[in-house]
Amino acid sequence: MTRRVAIVGVGYSDFRPATPDVAFHEMMFEAAVKAYEDAGVNPRKDIDSFIACSEDYWEGFSIFDEFVPDQLGAVLKPVCTISADGMYGVINAYLQIRTGAFDIVAVEAHSKASDIVNMWHVMAFAFDPIINRPLKMHPYVIAGLEMMKFLKDSGNTEEHCAMVVAKNKKNAMKTPYASYGSIISPEDVLTSETLFHPLKKLDASEFVDGAVVIVLAAEEVARKLTDTPIWIKGVGWCTDTPWLEFRDWSRAVYAEMAAEMAYKMARIHEPAKQIDFAEIDDKFSYKELQHMEALRLCRKGEAGLLVEEGVTERDGDLPVNPSGGFLGVGNPLEAGGLVKILEAVLQLRGEAGKRQVPKAEVAVTQIWRGVPTTSGAVVVLGRE
Amino acid sequence: MSLEKIRDPERMRRWPGHMETDYVYTVGLAGERFFREIKDNGKFYGTRCEKCGITYFPARTFCERCLSELKEWVEVSPRGYVEMYTIAYMDLEGNKLEKPEIWAFIRFEGVFGGLVHKLGEVKPEEVKIGMVVEPVLKPKEQREGSITDILYFKPAK
Repeated sequence: MTRRVAIVGVGYSDFRPATPDVAFHEMMFEAAVKAYEDAGVNPRKDIDSFIACSEDYWEGFSIFDEFVPDQLGAVLKPVCTISADGMYGVINAYLQIRTGAFDIVAVEAHSKASDIVNMWHVMAFAFDPIINRPLKMHPYVIAGLEMMKFLKDSGNTEEHCAMVVAKNKKNAMKTPYASYGSIISPEDVLTSETLFHPLKKLDASEFVDGAVVIVLAAEEVARKLTDTPIWIKGVGWCTDTPWLEFRDWSRAVYAEMAAEMAYKMARIHEPAKQIDFAEIDDKFSYKELQHMEALRLCRKGEAGLLVEEGVTERDGDLPVNPSGGFLGVGNPLEAGGLVKILEAVLQLRGEAGKRQVPKAEVAVTQIWRGVPTTSGAVVVLGRE
Repeated sequence: MSLEKIRDPERMRRWPGHMETDYVYTVGLAGERFFREIKDNGKFYGTRCEKCGITYFPARTFCERCLSELKEWVEVSPRGYVEMYTIAYMDLEGNKLEKPEIWAFIRFEGVFGGLVHKLGEVKPEEVKIGMVVEPVLKPKEQREGSITDILYFKPAK
């Protein structure tokens, strides 16, 4: 099992806060066609296996996976759906190719968040129905509690969180697919409406619609398809206990362990030195800081300091979320992990245009499945 | 066929759907006894894993660390402390709450676990991390063996 695997194609639909003009199939079709064009493959002939990532409740369907093959070119082909973020799909595609059974695998995930009429109720269905759900609490109560605990234990501050928001929204100004870019000050974040103290309105990402498709290939095929294959160097994933009552509220242990698994595979011993930039989960501002520490991009308690010193700016020593992250791009539900990988691939290829980071050889991407989950994945990508 | 430009998204054709999802969720062996103790006796119980040396609260029938079956039931003092809290200003519809809700993670001495629940009889600005709290239960005749038998936690006297 020494087969190397590369990303050879990426495609995405127009990301927007609302897409009343296109159905989810059409967004998937757009992303798929662009990805296959980018990879130079014919989906009906060349792609061996397809993986779609979706969640029935986000879609408003039962057994949603039945509805994915046709718009991906996957009818009468091996198809499976993973009920998780798209990054899990990429990891599974990587493993499928490593088995030797398949040479080219396509992965899809999307968000039609604007179709969900009662988002908070749908999200609250993720609470334990016996211990938590009868209390009728808003799912972001979990974010408010976790933010307070994390800031207290780590020594990072609400001001640091506000700096993350200002940085990411500024970065998003140069990202064509970002919907929530703006030039604001940390002060604007701190004075925005308090929703779940200490969490303020601008500390939380807004939802966005869009689809992403990623094409992966085995080394020998990848080299024929492209001059700039982006290699999967390491993968990891992990889930903590689901119980609010028994989880670690202070650290993102799921991310720490997923990162260690991926780093070991990628032979990353000193992430802060070996990694050039990071695309990590910032569904809430404090999560970027917590995940930076979990991924050992800095020492515990020092994430905020790095942000304050400008180290994580796009032109800093360790850019974090040069795309603008979810705070700037929007939160695309299960497509989140694919957006992180999409941005990393464009940066590593040197195709990120105005937002290109100066040095892009090795990147870490990371995703968290959002409240109230304790699941996440990490993928390390590189040019070599 | 019209070539008129549609500017109002409300005029895009869409089909309103409603997924009715009614379930009964089985409380299970641990939940049965845990909630019965609250309902009948107003007492909190956890289950002990001797091997790992921890007491799970709320009670459960297996240890997530060593996967032993847990059979030893231990009474847990209902007096806990606020490990962290949040003040919610928004409801599940996305509307501003008229009266903000205070939610806390409450830890109890000597156990692994705790409870997420509301705080009452306290103003948002008075809540502090580490504050000692105790549960306020529904009157016994109104209890139904549910987490809502606990109305909220209030500052302990």
